[in-house]
Formats: sequence, C-alpha cells, structure tokens
Amino acid sequence: MIEASGLVKTFRLARGGNGTLGALKGLFTRAYTEVQAVKGISFTIREGEFVGYIGPNGAGKSTTIKMLAGILHPTEGEVTVAGCSPQRERKEVAKRIGVVFGQRTQLWWDLPVRDSMEILQAMYKIDDRSFRDAMERFNALLDLHEFLDIPVRKLSLGQRMRADLAAALLHDPPVLFLDEPTIGLDVVAKNKIRQFLREINRTDRKTILLTTHDMDDIEQLCSRIILINHGQVMLDGTLDQLRAQIGLPSVIVAEYREPPAITGVLDGVEQVEQIGNRLVIHYDKRKTPTPRLLAEIGRWGEPVDIQMKEPDIEEIIRLLYGRVANPARLSYTSFSTWY
Amino acid sequence: MFFLYRKLLAASIRAQMQYKLNFIATAVTTAMLSSIDFLILSAILHRFDHVKGWNLYEVGLLYGLASIAVSLYRVLAPEIHDFERYIVFGELDQLLTRPVSPLLLLLTRNLELSRIGGAVQGLVILIVSLGGLAGQGRVTWLLLSYLPIAVLTGLMIFFAIGLATATTAFWTGQLKELQTFTIFAPATAANFPISLYPGWLKLLFYSVVPVAFLNYVPMLYLLDKGGAWPLLLVAPLVGGVFCWLSIRFWQFGIRHYHSTGS
Repeated sequence: MIEASGLVKTFRLARGGNGTLGALKGLFTRAYTEVQAVKGISFTIREGEFVGYIGPNGAGKSTTIKMLAGILHPTEGEVTVAGCSPQRERKEVAKRIGVVFGQRTQLWWDLPVRDSMEILQAMYKIDDRSFRDAMERFNALLDLHEFLDIPVRKLSLGQRMRADLAAALLHDPPVLFLDEPTIGLDVVAKNKIRQFLREINRTDRKTILLTTHDMDDIEQLCSRIILINHGQVMLDGTLDQLRAQIGLPSVIVAEYREPPAITGVLDGVEQVEQIGNRLVIHYDKRKTPTPRLLAEIGRWGEPVDIQMKEPDIEEIIRLLYGRVANPARLSYTSFSTWY
Repeated sequence: MFFLYRKLLAASIRAQMQYKLNFIATAVTTAMLSSIDFLILSAILHRFDHVKGWNLYEVGLLYGLASIAVSLYRVLAPEIHDFERYIVFGELDQLLTRPVSPLLLLLTRNLELSRIGGAVQGLVILIVSLGGLAGQGRVTWLLLSYLPIAVLTGLMIFFAIGLATATTAFWTGQLKELQTFTIFAPATAANFPISLYPGWLKLLFYSVVPVAFLNYVPMLYLLDKGGAWPLLLVAPLVGGVFCWLSIRFWQFGIRHYHSTGS
C-alpha cells in the first residue's frame, strides 16, 4: 500500500542576508547549509497495517510523511502510495490518502465544522449518499454532532482533533497519515481517538501510518514499529522484536508460600533478588525462554503468584537512543553557489 | 471546477464576515489612503499639466487603468501577495494534501474586499478623465470598448508579476523587499507615461515587469500618440504569455518547497 525505497531528502538552508540588499543579493548568490534530513529510508507497508513511525525530534519523521503525502519532493528515491507516485500524480494520491497534522488543523478556522465538511464534499466530489453515510458513522464513533455547528476556532483541542479525523476520512481514503494526532490531549480524549483509530483499522482495513511521542499510542495501536533516528531506519518490526533486539532484561516477580531455595542459576538470568518470600528475576528472553524459566521457578519452591513485566517502552526508546544518538554523524556541508 | 471555486470563495467571505468590525475598519482606512493618493496626484498634475506631451486627462486615463488593475489584483489574490507566510510557517502543507491545484486553493482562501476602494478610486479618475477627453472630442467607441480589455490585461500582468515574485519565496523565504521592486514601484510607475523614464527603466517595464502593456502601449494607438493598431492585440497577448510563464515558474518552484519542521 505504501512503498518507499531509498528515500533521501536534502534541505538547503539559506543563510540569507537581511534587508533589501540582502534580498536582492540572495536572488543571485547564496550561501547554503546542506542538511540531510532523510538518508536512504526504505520500507513497505501492506494493506491494513497499523504502523508506528517513531523517533526523537528531528529524526526525519515529518519529512518522510510529507514525502509520502506529496508535499515534499524527495532528493533521491521512489515512493508509491496506493499505486501512485505522490510526486508525479499528487492529485491522485491526495484522493487516496487522509492526512492529519496534530499541530495544525486542516479545517476552515472561522467556519462551523459542518461548512468544512460540505466544502470537502465538493472538493473530493463525494456523492450525497456516501456523504450522509460517512457523517452518520462519524456521529456514532466520534460524537461529531455535538459540535457540528460550532466554528472550528471555538472547539476544544479534543473536539478539533475528532473533527480533523472525520475530515481526513470523509472521502474514504484507503491510507491514513497521522502526525501526532494525540498531542496535547487529555487521557479521555486520547482514548476516544485511539478507539476510533482501532475501529477504522480493524473494520475498514485502513492502512495507517502514525507518528507519535506517546508510547501508549504505540502499545495500544500499532502492530508494527518503524523506528528512525538521524534519517535512517534503526529498526523495523513488532514491539516485541524491538524489546528483544535491545536485550532489555524482562522481569519476573515470583511470590512463594515459603522462602524459596534457589538451586543453580540458568544461563541468561542476569540478576535474582530475594526479599523474604519474593523473588525478583531479571533475565534475557533471547537466552532463556520464559517457559523454561517458569519451570525452574516451580522447582525452587511453591509459587503462589507470578507476575511478568515487560520493559517500559519509553525506557526502550531512551536506551536505544542513548546507544545510537551520535550528533557528530549529522552531515553538514557548506558551500556557495552561483546561479 | 468553477463550482468548487465559487463554494470556496463563498466560504472565505463568510469567514471574513465573522470579523465585521475589522472588515469595516480596513475598508475605511484603505479608502482614506486612496483619497490621499488621489489628492497628491491632482496637486502634481495641476502644477505640470503636460507630462511628456500627455495632458492631464490622458495621464488620468493611464492612472485610472493602472490603479484599477493593481487594486483588483490585491482584491483577488491577497494570499499570493502574502505568500511569504505559507513558506515561513509551512502553511502550504495543507494545500498540497488536497486533490485540487494549490493555486486555486490560494486564490479562494481570501478575498481582500476592503481593497475594492482602490479600484473605485481608479474608476472615478478614469471616468473624470474620459469626461475631459470627451470635451476635446477624443473619446471613440473603440477606446471605450477597449477599456475592459485593458483592465483585464493589467490584472493578468500584475497577477503574473505577483505570482512570479511569490514563487521566489520557495528559495528565499522572503518577499516583502522584492515586492517593492516588482509590484509597488512598477504599479506607481505605470500611473504615468512610460516615455517619462530613462532607457534602462523603460526596458524593464517592457520586459521583466511589463507594466507598459497594461495602459501605455494600447493608449499610444487609442489616443493617437503614434502607435499602430496591432498594439491593441499585442498588449493582452503579452499579459497572457506572462501569466502562462509565471504559472510554469510557480509549478517549478513548488517542487522546491521545503516545508518546516513540525
């Protein structure tokens, strides 16, 4: 559904002069700083996948999404979205995608939500019947009717985001790009949005690419994660694979009826703490499969309760970034060009 | 396409009407500024009643046409004129996710109706000047029927210049200074006969910023200043060609859109 191969985006940041003279001079000669925001990103996303596209600020997330949506032209590489090239057939792609930028509404700021919807109906040439059906669905799933006649600028952030999602899906696009759709929302509003996204992903088989800083979004929604840093893919897989790859110790807390007697330590168990009747075991999943460890735990005494804890996703990201973050690898080249 | 254009325009007018007070204040201010402009011009024209062989009413005709054309451009294309912020704040992003030309979306996002005062002022000067010329027995049916074509030509020329100037923002990110040279100065220059200016400026007004064609060139024939009739066809043709060129330039520029970090 979405295919990116060898995507590169180089920005030339102008170091322009100021004032009239600077502007005039800037037309003819210009000093540039070249920054490579995306350095060869490739991935394939199949229909119905819900992909979390994550990475720290400035990693190139938004730049990639903008290239997929046809806003930016890649310096190198190819993109196909729903069978079309966003660069050569921007309008065709626009009909097949819905876009939500959390930071900025796509609606008509001073007009009631209803007006925006009607304008979009005309813009995307949606027939009346499909329009009515879509609106009914949004009323049911997003409670759109509660604020349909209020100007967008007077909506709460949560309402605005719901309206933006409805607007992005009005023309029933198979692909949805969401850039920070839950940013700034409270827990209740976030949950509402997540429920909605899960529903359209499962029922309508929408292909969704989501960027977020909220790890709950990822944990609750995404079947796959593409993690990027410094414009490169660091990892592409499931959340579990991400956890496993980093080798963060998983944790088992076992509660025994009586203080257990530990007989021999398995390979891959990194640390065992004993506090009275309780054992806290840190182990590496890749070396010690959990069932084997559980069997071992049963041999040490009579467990009454066993809890398993996976490492916190935020911890994973921090660890991974700590390992790969290396600002010196950002390539800056400066030169001057004559036109 | 036309249906969508109308719907989008209606929406932006409705949006503007949400701020009625602001709208009225801007309209009044613009009208006042226009009147001051007009007063200065009549003061100048009363001192020199001939400019390079063009009398008061003839200059008034040039002034009126130039004034109407540039005002209509400002009414119809305010978002192109203020395109800078679409680049600086990355607002162009959302226009590029629509299955419609971003130029159409820009043109329908806003109508600066309060600028219509400038066009009315130009129209008044035009009518007064036509009255004066009629007194000299020099108003022909051809002249009268050509005026709408001249206004349209002027609109095309200012639109072309405005769009080409706006397009440079894809690289420079700034417009205001450049606009002084490409729009404001030429628009003022076109208030007077182009023959007034030194050679290199004349060359500019015939080529890069072709404001000579919006009033001066056709009037050379219509007011019998030594021009031939084909000039009447050349002027709108130049307007059309420049529009086409600037749209091509715009389409080239949009490929170089940088957007902004989120």
